[in-house]
Amino acid sequence: MARFSVIGKSLAMVDSSSKVTGLGRYTNDLSVPGMLVGKILHSPHAHARIRSIDTSRAEALPEVKFVVTGKDAPNPFGILPIGHDERALALDKVRFIGDNVAAVAATTEEAAERALDLIHVDYEILPAWFDPVESMQSASNWLHADRPYNIEKEYHHVFGDPDQAFRQSTFVREETYRAAEVNHAAMEPNATLAIYEPDGRVTVHSSTQVPYYLQRTIAEVCELPMSQVRVVKPLVGGGFGAKSEPISLEIIAPLLAIKAKRPVKILFTREEVFLAHRGRPITIVELKVGITKEGKLNAVAARVIQDGGAFCGYGPVTVLYSGALLGAIYDIPNVRYDGFRVLTNKPACGAMRGHGTVNVRFAFESMLDALARDAGIDPVELRRRNMLAAPCTTVNGLRVTSYGLPECIEKVTAQSGWSEKKGKLPFGRGIGMACSHYVSGAANPIIRSNMPHTTVNIKIDRDAAVTIYSGASEIGQGSDTMHVQIAAEVLGVSPARIRLVAADTELTPVDLGSYSSRVTFMAGNACLAAATNMRHQIFAAVALTFGCDPARLEARDDFIFSQDDSRARLSFDQAIVLAITANHHGGLVAQGSYTPPEEARGGKHKGAGVGPSPSYSYSAQVAEVSVDTETGQVLVERIVAAHDCGRALNPVTVDGQIIGSVYMGLGQAMQEEMIWNHGRLMNPSFLEYRIPSTLETPPIESIIVESEDPEGPFGAKEAGEGSLAATIPAVANAIFDAVGVRITTLPLSAEKILAAIREQEKIERGVGQKSGAR
Amino acid sequence: MNSKEFIQLQVNGETRDLAVPPAKLLLDVLREDLGLTGAKRACDDSSCGACAVLVDGVPILSCVAIASCYQDSEILTVEGIAPPGELTPVQESYAAAGGSQCGFCTPGFMISIKALLDRNPHPTDEEIRMALSSNFCRCTGYMQIYESVRLAIVRSSCPPASAVATLSRVER
Amino acid sequence: MSMSAGSVARPKTVEEAVRILAGHGPDAMVIAGGTDVVPNLQMKLFSPGLLVDIKRIASLRGMHVNAAGELRIGALTTLTEVANSPLVRQNYSVVAQAVATVAGPLQRNMGTIGGNLCLETRCRWYNQSAFWRKSLGGCLKKDGPICHVAPGGKRCWAAWSGDSAPAFLTLGAEIELSGPQGVRRIPLQSFYRNDGIDRIALGRDELLTAILVPPGSAGRHGAYHKLRIRNSIDYPLAGVAIALEMDANGICRDARIAITAVNPAPLLLSQASEWLVGKKYSHELAERVAHAAIQTGKPLTTSASTPVYRRDMLRLFTRRALEQVWKARTNSPLNSLAD
Repeated sequence: MARFSVIGKSLAMVDSSSKVTGLGRYTNDLSVPGMLVGKILHSPHAHARIRSIDTSRAEALPEVKFVVTGKDAPNPFGILPIGHDERALALDKVRFIGDNVAAVAATTEEAAERALDLIHVDYEILPAWFDPVESMQSASNWLHADRPYNIEKEYHHVFGDPDQAFRQSTFVREETYRAAEVNHAAMEPNATLAIYEPDGRVTVHSSTQVPYYLQRTIAEVCELPMSQVRVVKPLVGGGFGAKSEPISLEIIAPLLAIKAKRPVKILFTREEVFLAHRGRPITIVELKVGITKEGKLNAVAARVIQDGGAFCGYGPVTVLYSGALLGAIYDIPNVRYDGFRVLTNKPACGAMRGHGTVNVRFAFESMLDALARDAGIDPVELRRRNMLAAPCTTVNGLRVTSYGLPECIEKVTAQSGWSEKKGKLPFGRGIGMACSHYVSGAANPIIRSNMPHTTVNIKIDRDAAVTIYSGASEIGQGSDTMHVQIAAEVLGVSPARIRLVAADTELTPVDLGSYSSRVTFMAGNACLAAATNMRHQIFAAVALTFGCDPARLEARDDFIFSQDDSRARLSFDQAIVLAITANHHGGLVAQGSYTPPEEARGGKHKGAGVGPSPSYSYSAQVAEVSVDTETGQVLVERIVAAHDCGRALNPVTVDGQIIGSVYMGLGQAMQEEMIWNHGRLMNPSFLEYRIPSTLETPPIESIIVESEDPEGPFGAKEAGEGSLAATIPAVANAIFDAVGVRITTLPLSAEKILAAIREQEKIERGVGQKSGAR
Repeated sequence: MNSKEFIQLQVNGETRDLAVPPAKLLLDVLREDLGLTGAKRACDDSSCGACAVLVDGVPILSCVAIASCYQDSEILTVEGIAPPGELTPVQESYAAAGGSQCGFCTPGFMISIKALLDRNPHPTDEEIRMALSSNFCRCTGYMQIYESVRLAIVRSSCPPASAVATLSRVER
Repeated sequence: MSMSAGSVARPKTVEEAVRILAGHGPDAMVIAGGTDVVPNLQMKLFSPGLLVDIKRIASLRGMHVNAAGELRIGALTTLTEVANSPLVRQNYSVVAQAVATVAGPLQRNMGTIGGNLCLETRCRWYNQSAFWRKSLGGCLKKDGPICHVAPGGKRCWAAWSGDSAPAFLTLGAEIELSGPQGVRRIPLQSFYRNDGIDRIALGRDELLTAILVPPGSAGRHGAYHKLRIRNSIDYPLAGVAIALEMDANGICRDARIAITAVNPAPLLLSQASEWLVGKKYSHELAERVAHAAIQTGKPLTTSASTPVYRRDMLRLFTRRALEQVWKARTNSPLNSLAD
């Protein structure tokens, strides 16, 4: 008999039918009678003081029902308790082109747009900062008065003795890498529908990954008790981190609804999505790595500057992840990290898939490839020599409980034909590999407390239907289906019997949200605990009837039966009636929650709170490319990615997460870039911000590695982010293998590659080498 | 202000009489006036394919189509590609093979895939890739969408051997 | 995003369309497929009081070879229909290749050949939302005093970004324009003015009704090479079309080369044609022609890629396109192409 009946099966996503029929409702698909259209007036200036705002002409339009400005909601907010520097609408200054200045609610979109044109704002223009390095040397005109030199946060960590270790290293490399800014480009533009209820409460349907943080933020800014704010998450059309902190429209819509006492819906244009941003920042990585003659990693030193834009957002977390996860994938005894999060007059950056790890991983894995060459060691072999010995704790205090990276490397090199290809492909074709990893949720919550990170309730009444109540947010990653599979497995019932109520602050218990790849590990464990609790109640009643030990009972295929007596067998429906009868309370309820263990929460140094996770995922990838040496254009021919997800609760879904991560990494590697000109985004559209179409996307092969984490639900851990970071250096390394040029800035554009090839040809001609020599 | 104009559209086999501003876009008429919210607004510059619908069997972008200009045509939206309560083979295989993640692009893909298979029931992998090259998906990396199409072909007919050979992890 | 457009007229004949256009003057704007016009309207680049939707004019649809042996493609023929037409693929290969690279299949299903020949010119400082342009203070082409591509200049450098026009130029095509005074035909070449603002020689009361390819151009071997970052959706960053006629000995009898996306108009390299006629392929000749391309093509900072790269690629693609057509036409292997 199979060990599991539902776990490990590729169950169709529970919301699949609603998606393929077009009947499922995303926020912008919702409408209610009397609904107004909300529109936001954005700043045309990168940095300016607001002298005055005159809204009278806009208010005079008959279609306009309300106009709000910063004065209507002065309370600051921000996702981090240390970074409450944003306001729903600018109060005293605007800090980037696109900053929110005023908003109107009108009966039609056309009237709302017309009203915006009638709002007059008197600005006093201030000098602005666009370059992070210049910004952190600024003597005046800081974005925020309490952030001198425009430095949002800086961290300085030393573990071991890096200086000594570099002296003892045989091969040492230093290089500066630079990554362009990228945006999540989720297909669904942000949308919020806020409904003012007759009793003064407000219900907010919103495209969010974090309904509970949103509830809290709306309450703070709109000055309502949290109990008067209900946030409901409809279907969400992709997040990737873009919706993992409250976004201006999510606060402005309820603000307008409360003021106008009418429902208000705001839909962002694609340009507004880019201006709300929260993507991956421009990152400058000054990296130094030393290895021994045998290829053992000795020391790493990194100085990282991130161009965070105008607000704190998740910034300190991003820059801490860059440091904490930089060295923690391999066994590295000596690490120095200096990280700077800098403010500039541009849209705020934030969390994006692979949060904080991606650009440093590009730098690190590129350099490892170069060091392998220096040492005459195959790049795969070099990595093999630096594996951690799990269970262990890394030098910076991260507890590693399961470590499938060696298996990922073996499988990915075998499937890709690494040993037959590496060093054996003709000039112009190449193969490269890289590794990456990610957290399975943060061990420490954003707002420090000792409360559980997530709670799941299960209810079963006399209809024998199982209802799960979970605050976790399905954003396309399979959160809802994961709950159903876990509960079905534990209770021994068919998934069809289970209904899920999710992500509605009025109905479901708190879950911190869909970010940092925490849902399967944390909500999954909470669901497992709740279902186990429920099973105890049912088994106790059934055991009384059978006169047996509850521990000898089993639930499977909608029956409860004794392992010892084949006649002792009840249908699940019968068992529920027994249990309800026995407990004297009525319908059955059970609860489970998850709090990360104390020993997973990291060290004591400043900033030690970010990086620790109850468990880590691992990925190894091989990319094959061909390069047109006359154009610099790269054809990525194939990517093979192996990912250690602990256990694949749903293999098709895990495959989809791995492939999707690789795809997004490939976009950043090859063609995605937010292009700035004096704080002005030159490409705020899908036409000019070039996410890959089917024609640039190569065959991507996923390999699932299951290391069975001791603390994950059924051994499961992260699957949705960890594979992104390895893709970029794998491709960069393959380009080097193909044409012998190493590109240190992202994206790896044809133009840069061509320039590097020509530069190399010039050098080779200079020393009389044969053209095409590698 | 714009006055409204009476127009008549044939949508999903039904005749619909409407009063709309003359230049109102088909996407907005479908979503706001007919409650057919399957087609999505996602890009604002006719580049993403999320708004696709079939007009006389040809897939087009409803976000740049002026509704009143399509009164002589048969319009089919994602809501109309299968009878109520039923799923097309592609819709079923999407569930099995992971074609949808967030699902926002799915209605547009459904339209492009239907148009492809109506024209060419046994497309090659390259033909599938080409036919879907104006539909963006940000979640799947497209692989499981291709897999869904191949699975639908396998399940609904006698497939070419190549289609069977390329299926992985999904039950046939 | 609301649309800045008033009412919509839906004429059923060319005469009716022309009458409406003449009656409304600059307040009217023609719309066919909508893939170019509608996003521009949403960005408030135009605010016509009247949209003249010409899709109901049945006489503008379809393509055929007429009594004079010309290929006549009605303006409303979709790009998909053109690209898929066996007639076009077989006899006018450069057109089929070029049209197949326009955007993606959904856009090609809507976009018409007439629309593609009348595209609005494009520039990164211009093709932006009303908010974006307002924050910039506008540009020479719309609402502003200066050109951000060439500050100080009085000329708009927005780039001609169509794919089909250079292909038709290489075939010596003519276009048919209908106006109040009747129908006139002009060489396609004289339709384009090489001015980013006043881009085409089309009267406000005129309609482009067809494009005609002369009989002598049928059967030419053609190639279209397009620089873009994505292989779908993207407009060209540089492009070159070539149509060549050769005799059995591999000697060029006629050749035309046109470039796109690097100037405010698609342009023929007339000098290059003279060099090619009477010659066999040689690497030196190809390089000379490629050099001519960058003498004529003057990419500026109108798009994401740098002018230097677009210029380099224009030169390379011209050489490659020439190699491709010559190779395809010649039975004997071209040893000189190997290097």
